[in-house]
Amino acid sequence: MPTIECSKKDLEKLIGKKFDSAEKLEQALQYAKGGIGSLEGDALKIEVQDANRPDLWSAEGIARELKARLGLETGLPKFKVKKSKVQLIIEKSVKKSRPYMVAALAKNVKITEEYLVQMIQLQEKVGLTYGRKRKEVGIGIYDLDKMKAPIYYKGIKPREIKFAPLEFERDLGLNEILELHPKGKEYGHLIKAFEYYPIVMDSTGTVCAMPPIINSNYTGKVTEKTKNLFIEVTGWNKEIVNIALNVMVAAVHDRGADIEAVEIVDETEKAKYFTPNFEPKKTKVKIEFINKLAGMNWSTKEIVKLLERARYNCTIKGKEILLEVPSYRQDLLHEADIVEDAVISYGYNNLEPKATEMNVVGKDLLETRLKEVIRSTCVGLQLQEVLTYNLTSKEKQVTKLGLNLQKEIFAEIANPMSSEYAIFRKQIFPELLEFLGKNSRYEYPQNIFEIGKGLELDAKSETGVNEKNKICIIICGRNANFNEGKRHLQALSNSMNWDYELKKIEHSAFKPGLCAEIKIENRIGIIGELKESILKNFSIEMPACVIELEF
Amino acid sequence: MQNSELKQLVLELSEIERTALKQLGIHEIHTLESLAQTTELNKDAVRRVIEWLKEKKLIQVQDLQRKAEYSLTKTGKENLEKGLPERRMIQALQEKTLNFKELQEKTKLNSGEFASGLGVLKQKNFITIQSGKIEISEVGKEFAGSEWMEEKILNNPDECSLDQIQGLIKRGLLEKKEVTENSIQISEFGIQAKEILETIGSQREFNIQAPVQPLYLGKAQPYNQFLKLIRKKLLELGFTEMKERLIVQEFYNFDVLFQPQNHPARQWTDSYQLKQPTHGKLPDKKIVDKIKAAHETGGLADSTGWGYEWSTDIASRVMPTAHGTAMDARQMCEGVEFPKKYFVINRCFRPDVLDATHLVEFNQLDCFMVGPGINFRSLLHVFKQLAYEIAGAKEVKFTTAYFPFTEPSCELSIKHPQLGWMEVAGGGVLRPEITENLGIKEPAIAWGMGIDRLAMAKLGIKDIRYLFSDNLDWLRKSKMVVE
Repeated sequence: MPTIECSKKDLEKLIGKKFDSAEKLEQALQYAKGGIGSLEGDALKIEVQDANRPDLWSAEGIARELKARLGLETGLPKFKVKKSKVQLIIEKSVKKSRPYMVAALAKNVKITEEYLVQMIQLQEKVGLTYGRKRKEVGIGIYDLDKMKAPIYYKGIKPREIKFAPLEFERDLGLNEILELHPKGKEYGHLIKAFEYYPIVMDSTGTVCAMPPIINSNYTGKVTEKTKNLFIEVTGWNKEIVNIALNVMVAAVHDRGADIEAVEIVDETEKAKYFTPNFEPKKTKVKIEFINKLAGMNWSTKEIVKLLERARYNCTIKGKEILLEVPSYRQDLLHEADIVEDAVISYGYNNLEPKATEMNVVGKDLLETRLKEVIRSTCVGLQLQEVLTYNLTSKEKQVTKLGLNLQKEIFAEIANPMSSEYAIFRKQIFPELLEFLGKNSRYEYPQNIFEIGKGLELDAKSETGVNEKNKICIIICGRNANFNEGKRHLQALSNSMNWDYELKKIEHSAFKPGLCAEIKIENRIGIIGELKESILKNFSIEMPACVIELEF
Repeated sequence: MQNSELKQLVLELSEIERTALKQLGIHEIHTLESLAQTTELNKDAVRRVIEWLKEKKLIQVQDLQRKAEYSLTKTGKENLEKGLPERRMIQALQEKTLNFKELQEKTKLNSGEFASGLGVLKQKNFITIQSGKIEISEVGKEFAGSEWMEEKILNNPDECSLDQIQGLIKRGLLEKKEVTENSIQISEFGIQAKEILETIGSQREFNIQAPVQPLYLGKAQPYNQFLKLIRKKLLELGFTEMKERLIVQEFYNFDVLFQPQNHPARQWTDSYQLKQPTHGKLPDKKIVDKIKAAHETGGLADSTGWGYEWSTDIASRVMPTAHGTAMDARQMCEGVEFPKKYFVINRCFRPDVLDATHLVEFNQLDCFMVGPGINFRSLLHVFKQLAYEIAGAKEVKFTTAYFPFTEPSCELSIKHPQLGWMEVAGGGVLRPEITENLGIKEPAIAWGMGIDRLAMAKLGIKDIRYLFSDNLDWLRKSKMVVE
């Protein structure tokens, strides 16, 4: 979910409407699936929910959407584009490294501080999120007046040239840039493996950039004094780079720049075409489908009005509406997506909630009922129920029990946030021992239980993990011993109508001779009186007996 | 105190007070420990008894007595085990003369330990240093075998003089702790009371106003009590429960829910991955192929799909359940009946650091319903209904939202009676790419609800960690959740 930072005043100016309260602004932002993250003075943070609408990730884009939704300017946004004489030649040498580049010129820009902030923010967000950390989209913005057309996009062996990257005074080799420049370190892996690195060069042979890593310090520095811009997008997919370019260009266009198209000459594909191309996409929607999904009975006229406020151009054709869609939208996979746009224009809170008749009977799982019965039995045994986490550490599940780290395997997290929560527990009782250790200052006996899961690896199960439902009881206090434990096991089993068998076993955590495997049909459990050393590991000062059982 | 008053007081003494009083002889001075030992009561009980008897003026509790105790620090303990630095150095030097570097390497001492050891040895004249070589002196040879004073102190710090100890405190081997103790002595009234006690024997009267020891009952965990109530509400509303799973295939967590494999949205759902196991099994190939088609071309739905090559390998990876909607996905692959309402309360896992507002694992309520006539307004209705039934909220607000598996999508905010406006649920109409490809003939709506925050409101807690409270006292004293 991208967060957009902008100036409230600037946004209001772009929209052409002032919002005198945060609520009204919040309400309006709803139209762009946005909400106020924070508003301090003029500094506004907007959280935009839609991951598929890069056009909404700038103040200009949000303003464009809101203008229409608020009825200030409806239908397809108009972009005036003049063809320039500037050519961009894509040489064959770059085809294997990063094959596509599209570009545009923005002339007579009147860059202000806020303008620059928005432009850089959009460039970053689109590259990061829509462009998947610049893999699919790398955006470069240059001072056009420092470049001499035609512009070349070519592949060059890293040792063959040097240039000074942004914020560096001296020339560096291409690999040096990948090693030394912060952006080189961050994105270098995107080109490192190639024989030829992608390079933008002007006709004087001046290196302008190494996409998608970094611009040159000479041409790539844009300031409030810059008059004319060269904007390019590189990547691996023609559609994606064109959308990214249109998103960028639409934003500067809305700030009053004169947009000129660049002629792309692709030497590999032997193709010539101009970008940016704002030709609208075409689609259609069935009127009946809109009403059915929204649960409404809108007239065709009403629907057209709602869609125009979502920036569509509409033509009614029988039972369908033919639509022209802004070129930068690529999130319309199905008619359902268009329905949402209509409903948003109408306003969610203007819809009357309506019940759907359903003749159904509720039912819970047998498992849930079983848990409830076990719980009430344990409560009858005067045990306090405790809830612990499934995520835990090997320290608790293995080391503190005196078990062997090599022998114990768990469902294990690859990217844990902390070693405390890095594996799924196999047994509940170590977690309850940890609990008891934290409560030694309170009155004994401390007899507790938990109903929960224990996870064991199991190649036969569909997830590779067997999730066992378990009940764990620990009695802890002056009189806690194996005998007391067995009395609890017996009471529980009798109450649940379980027939249990005990078989003496050895376990590193329990006193020899005072530990047994519990067997109830094919379900296994354990009962045992804890060794003093183990109690000490968990800082428990009283004897304790454990019962843990699958059910 | 009048005699009759004293007698009444003695009559009302509890068993443990009587036990303690009997153990207190005239002129005897007791401590909490000694009283616990002679009475065979646990310390908690003795502490209480002392309080009570003091209140009744039957004993005198003297001001704090301070006593210094010396104990080994961690380094001190290590040194006692491995030998003091100077001892280890002498042992090394007994074999042969060494230079500084060799000696430090041989003894494996850090530079601090090495320096202090060297200082001690020089001071004692146990070594001589010449042109960088360290050699044992004659004195050193003579005393090498015996136990040195420093070692005596470490073995028995309490029996040594303060001067001797000071040096080792400076070296960080010993530490001083001030221990405070109460001294307990029977009072004049106490002596009289004891005499009365002997005459009345086991006769006892009860002061009905006197506090009694708390009795702790067995109790269900408060959060579980709350979840039981939620389940009951859902059953009343006609929902059928689905099975909870902690580990799922990515197929269910993402793919069936139309979350593209190559899209940032997939990484945005901040989720855990597993180191082991890594992969699970996918369902019937027919179902897998339908989901593949949905992603690549839209499949049976009139959709463009996401237009990329879908990978079975990615889909079969397993992960900790990131949202309960994965159970909806599983149910939809297994087959759904209609009309029908489904729900699951599932423990979910997302990489968050545990603090007052975040849990490492949390419960999510996920529901979906299928049936003729279901549309976006049905969702708004069920949102409103649940807001009222589960949270007691009469006012609701709907906001726009994005989920990969629903369109239109919507979020629910409620005006909670105690907490004010809060966001509690999100969902929408299931995308046709999902329903049509899985052969679900009727429209369906699905949504998820974060119930942890509702539970906090119901249980009156501000710190979310109390839902999994590790405080026994709090659990024991918690009130039952009724409504």
